[in-house]
Amino acid sequence: MTARTIPATPPALCGTKGADARHRGDAGTVGAPAYAELHCLSDFSFGRGASSARELFVRARRCGYTALAITDECSLAGIVRAHEAARDTGVPLVIGSEIRLDDGLRLVLLAENAVGYTHLCELITRGRRAAGKGAYRLTRADLATGLPGTLALWLPAAVPERAQGEWLHGRFGERLWLAVELHHDTDAAAKLARLTALAHALGIPAVAAGDVHMHLRSRRALQDLLTAVRNHQTLIEARGLLFRNGERHLRRREALAALYPAALIEETLRIARRCTFALDQLHYHYPAELVPGGHTPTTWLRELTKEGLARRWPGGASPAVRAQVEHELALIAELGYEPYFLTVNDIVHFARARGILCQGRGSAANSAVCFALGITAVDPARANTLVERFISKERNEPPDIDVDFEHERREEVLQYIYRKYGRERAAITAEVICYRARSAVRDVATALGLPPDATDKLSFALGHWNGETPLDDRLHEAGFDPASPSIRRILHLTRALLGRPRHLSQHVGGFVISDAPLATLVPVENAAMPERTIIQWDKDDLDALGLLKVDCLALGMLTCLRKTLDLLRQHQRQDLTLATIPAEDPATYAMLQRADTVGVFQIESRAQMAMLPRLKPDHFYDLVIEVAIVRPGPIQGDMIHPYLRRRNGKEAVTYPSADVKAVLERTLGVPLFQEQVMKLAIVAAGYTPGQADQLRRSMAAWKRHGDIERHRERITQGMLARGYTAEFATQLFDQLKGFGSYGFPESHAASFALLAYASAWMKCHEPAAFMCALLNSLPMGFYSESQLVQDARRHGIQVHPVDVRCSDWDCTLERNPDDPAAQSAIRLGLRLVRGLRADAAARISAARAQHAFTDSADLVERAGLDASARRLLAAAGALRALAGHRHAARWAVAGVEPERPLFGLASPPEPGAALPPPTTWEDTRADYATMGLTLGPHPVGQLRAQLRARRCRRSRELKACPSGSRVRAAGLVTLRQRPHAAHGVTFVTLEDEDGMVNVIIWRDLAERQRRTLLAATLLGVDGRWESVDGVQNLIAERLFDYSPLLGALDSRSRDFR
Amino acid sequence: MAWACVLLPSLALDGALRNRPPLDTPFALVSGPVQQRRLVAVNAAARAAGLHPGQRLATAQAICRDLATAGHDPHQLAANLALIAAWAYRFSAEVALAPPRAIVLEAGKSLGLFGPWPRFAGRLRQELAGLGFRHQIALAPNPCAAKVLAGVHDGACVPGASALERALADIPITRAGLPPAAADALPGMGVRTLGQLLALPRAALQRRFGAALITTLEQLLGQQPAPFTPYRPPDHFVGRIEWPFGVTNHTTLLFPLRRLLGDLAACVAARDSGVQQFSVRFEHEHAAPTDLTIGLLAPQREAAALFDIAKLRLERTALPHPVIALGVRAATLPPFVPTGHDLFDTRPANAIPWEQLRERLRARLGEHAVHRLAADPDPRPERASAYDTPASPGDPPPLPPRPTWLLERPIPLRGPTPHILAGPERLETGWWDGGDIRRDYYIVEIGNGQRAWAFCPPGERTGWMLHGWFA
Repeated sequence: MTARTIPATPPALCGTKGADARHRGDAGTVGAPAYAELHCLSDFSFGRGASSARELFVRARRCGYTALAITDECSLAGIVRAHEAARDTGVPLVIGSEIRLDDGLRLVLLAENAVGYTHLCELITRGRRAAGKGAYRLTRADLATGLPGTLALWLPAAVPERAQGEWLHGRFGERLWLAVELHHDTDAAAKLARLTALAHALGIPAVAAGDVHMHLRSRRALQDLLTAVRNHQTLIEARGLLFRNGERHLRRREALAALYPAALIEETLRIARRCTFALDQLHYHYPAELVPGGHTPTTWLRELTKEGLARRWPGGASPAVRAQVEHELALIAELGYEPYFLTVNDIVHFARARGILCQGRGSAANSAVCFALGITAVDPARANTLVERFISKERNEPPDIDVDFEHERREEVLQYIYRKYGRERAAITAEVICYRARSAVRDVATALGLPPDATDKLSFALGHWNGETPLDDRLHEAGFDPASPSIRRILHLTRALLGRPRHLSQHVGGFVISDAPLATLVPVENAAMPERTIIQWDKDDLDALGLLKVDCLALGMLTCLRKTLDLLRQHQRQDLTLATIPAEDPATYAMLQRADTVGVFQIESRAQMAMLPRLKPDHFYDLVIEVAIVRPGPIQGDMIHPYLRRRNGKEAVTYPSADVKAVLERTLGVPLFQEQVMKLAIVAAGYTPGQADQLRRSMAAWKRHGDIERHRERITQGMLARGYTAEFATQLFDQLKGFGSYGFPESHAASFALLAYASAWMKCHEPAAFMCALLNSLPMGFYSESQLVQDARRHGIQVHPVDVRCSDWDCTLERNPDDPAAQSAIRLGLRLVRGLRADAAARISAARAQHAFTDSADLVERAGLDASARRLLAAAGALRALAGHRHAARWAVAGVEPERPLFGLASPPEPGAALPPPTTWEDTRADYATMGLTLGPHPVGQLRAQLRARRCRRSRELKACPSGSRVRAAGLVTLRQRPHAAHGVTFVTLEDEDGMVNVIIWRDLAERQRRTLLAATLLGVDGRWESVDGVQNLIAERLFDYSPLLGALDSRSRDFR
Repeated sequence: MAWACVLLPSLALDGALRNRPPLDTPFALVSGPVQQRRLVAVNAAARAAGLHPGQRLATAQAICRDLATAGHDPHQLAANLALIAAWAYRFSAEVALAPPRAIVLEAGKSLGLFGPWPRFAGRLRQELAGLGFRHQIALAPNPCAAKVLAGVHDGACVPGASALERALADIPITRAGLPPAAADALPGMGVRTLGQLLALPRAALQRRFGAALITTLEQLLGQQPAPFTPYRPPDHFVGRIEWPFGVTNHTTLLFPLRRLLGDLAACVAARDSGVQQFSVRFEHEHAAPTDLTIGLLAPQREAAALFDIAKLRLERTALPHPVIALGVRAATLPPFVPTGHDLFDTRPANAIPWEQLRERLRARLGEHAVHRLAADPDPRPERASAYDTPASPGDPPPLPPRPTWLLERPIPLRGPTPHILAGPERLETGWWDGGDIRRDYYIVEIGNGQRAWAFCPPGERTGWMLHGWFA
């Protein structure tokens, strides 16, 4: 017991926030024996490990450990983070995994070398694939080969079964140790004596190990909590399952020396020394089969690019373009990225052959090579400022290409990839789902025995808590006492749980494709979706190791655009592709400046519409800015207003230096894109490109490590040294932090801007086809079918109702026979009838093609409609022409006999039933209930007399009101939104017979009239009309709930939180 | 024939609220899975605050922060309806349940006793109000019509079949108790009232909505019997014996007590059940009765055992007045689980089984004097044993040796530093209920050679506390 008397002079080490004060003084003492911990779980052993790899490694360094193994249970999901933490702390990482076989045998496997690592990956893959999501199953047969290249530590049970040890000895031979793990849960000396005797009897060495579940003793509450959550029990129910003390942390070496004989501690070093494998030794190759015989990847990519150039520029590309291509090809060859480009090209090629519209984005996507290959349609000449941010060799940053596909057809692409490379070589990237405030509070409160209703209330109250802001008011409001011990316990643990990984899920579309089977590189496990497999690493892990992935994402607008292009071709109006849509069209920009953008990609939201008249885009690059500027990043970094002031000439455009000017000139001195912030760090703060890349990762992942703050000092110092003001440095850093959470790269904005422009051009010049395609691509975008149809009609497009005599499943265009050049009318499709199945619609079209329906019985018979389809069609008014008004139609189809008599008429004639026709109001209600839209009079219009009596004005009248007038308006609530960045402001959109009114509700009014605000379907608003720069808002002062006027009208508000 | 229907529009809510003091703050019954609870019923204050049934609880709580809630229990709903039926049984021999919220009773024969109708109805209303149930009442020539009318026109009285069709004509389709398919579809065809419906050709209706609709219509018109299940009073045991004179002697009471308990045993045996609680009531001439409530740990049906227990309780009870009547009542009869007897049971004749002994001890010493002791998985020694909880399934985790005698609370261990025999066993746990402990336990030998269980703060060897003795 000498530990406490050893003089302690620890070096000051960083990043030990929250460390036990008791341990601070004497953690890294000299004189204690060297030790390597070989059995340690990180928080990627879900429900067990209570500390992150970073916390563990920082602690290991403080304690002066020689090495630290991370041995998550049948998982390597956290090993890349451990690798990074090891690199940053200088404590070597030993890679391993704890395994429990189905018969209860437990052991730790450590990767001695690359062969062992591969065997470990394969073993974990086998175990995980044999069980459902989140579980694994391994038997002794899986260890039969003895896994060459691995070392095994046997973890005997409380009462050791000697036979287990003997069996393992037979498999692993001299690679087997008996792990002696002493935790003061019983008399240590006796246990030690028993286990060393057993090891001796088996003829294997014994080694000290810690079964570490946390970095510090003080994490024991969190560890207990995880145990309870894992077992779906409250802590009281789980009290028998908890560890009975906090010894399973990274203990000081003196404490270990007091507990273990020197030989057992020595042995840890011997094992750690043997394990020489590190993740940077992984060899990863992109698939080679895409290169035909006689070619190298380099020559083949050059060949394909040349063909592409000829396609893009039939008359020959300009010298500038050719020079650009040469430059890029040389760079790609130098970095060896050809297989990546070829892989992406292959996928895109497949999609194009199938007629699936796709579009690449990302830094590499905006290259001339990608344009030539057809991966993107952004002509680099058109957005010439982008090219410089192509992959750079100094940065050693893997190229990044995301490919968006039509959302309805992406699955075909995924299946192609699986088919082409096989499930062994292609898998989806994992996404680590972390605890957020709501899930954390729920788990903690449940485990601490709070009743379900109170748990609901609490998680509601703490909805978006970040773990820091004071909560007392919110808790009081919800009826909790913030001072009560149980609430304080809950908050404390919630804070500890926030941001910790919870489970692995599948990434939306990130594919990893490898030349060798993936399972030799990283474990593969089952996802929740059947037939889907994911690797255990997420995109940041891949990034950290320099592995390449292709993101195959789904995008609704591509579906819509492809359908628009098809319609135009089909109706012989235009034959266009994304790349041949006329560029820089003034009429299109004029429309955008009017904020007439319902349906336009990315810039149709209310916030975007409020920006358009101020930004007044008039060329392509403005759209790139428009797409990027209405984002939480620029909003939180306070960049919008400076940019607008400068753009509108209200503020001088200045730059603190020529370097900064070069970076920010195209955005008038205000950083708007992620790339600009990085470039600023280089030119203004003296970062090297490599460090700037680190910074970018910190920005993207600062949640993951929370280490962006360490850049503050560097940036400030670097900028001061280069003569910038402290103010500018602070501003830059704050902007950078804003981007950290939601940065938007210019390279993505450019691809999105292209789709925004394409959809805007279509809306401007081919509105009928565009709206028709949009309706056929729902659900997507921001607006409901009702809002889209109203917008189309306001633009003079005729819309015809659903009718079984003419409607297909999709909406169709009906040409005006008198004026074929005019915009066609849209015939609504049967897909709008909620609940109707596509096969019924197909049968209707087929039967109709033979000959027209004579009556509803004929329709039911020939199209084979079941009772539900009949009811839906009658209710939607689709039988009007065959059976009359809705009441009559419902009566008629209900009377069609399901069983046909052998002879004679299908349905015997019966006396007519006298049924009253529905009122307009009833028709409106039925329209909304069956299709969510009406072509009849708008419901608010039908109530106009009543509303007029309440002095409500129509929205058309409002538009003419001078700014500052007091007005009252009313409408259906179509949007209720309380964005996070808006500081408690609620945005409500009202719809009446003329269009939409944007209402702004300040927090105190929202609080005072909370009930009206939340419950009203038809909302009346008293307020001040504001009209500035073409942007009009109604600032609410008082709200009225007029919903009773509506009766049961089924108008679905879309509540966004 | 004249049928009255008593409709209880707020049966669930009233059933929950009648057991509470009057409430004028928002209250709602909720049901559904934890994540998506919805309101089932709301009181007037909650309605005034903007809440309504079907709303999500989370929304309701967002609107109305001081909302009190209780879980909705469908069984309770049925039990309350049965209660109303039992009450109605006092007025009519023909009572039927019309779930979920109504009962019907034949009122024609009762009018002689309680009538005329307005007076009878008044009495029904008064008593229902006393019971705490809001209600709607109607009288009609048949039960189905009475039920429909009660739902639409509270207080409706349609004395004869001739007026019935007229009275039904204005009833909205949605409230006519029609089969759901028809009730959903008919308004969409413009048919909004029963009158309109009755005017449509029956054959056309049958073709569209099947025979069920026609049956319902004919039941409404009294052309077919009503579908309600007749009410039967519940099976519970009530036995009572009277004397013309007051009995003062305990011994005299034993015989009738034994007989009543025998009847009880027979009754529960016939139902193949057991009795876990029953009460014995001794009635006096001019004073409140003396009640003995006897609860058992497990259901019983042996007459001798029941008598044994009751007798012991009676012997310890002082009867203040002469007894003129003795009653035994068993309200709830839970299922009985017989103890198996081994074929070769060699129990001595005078020995009694453990269960019977346990009951006898409880009866003699009081309910709180006899406990069952069980191991508790709590890692804290003070809480590792528990009273009266069934042992948890599975073996408890293996623990290092524990002392034979654990002190109720630790006391300082004085004297010289004890000699350590084994340890430490470190316990750091219990934070979740505020009872965190951090201790190193040792088995020590103290001066007189006795072995003790003692602890000190982790990592230290001072401040010894004594917590138990080894045998």
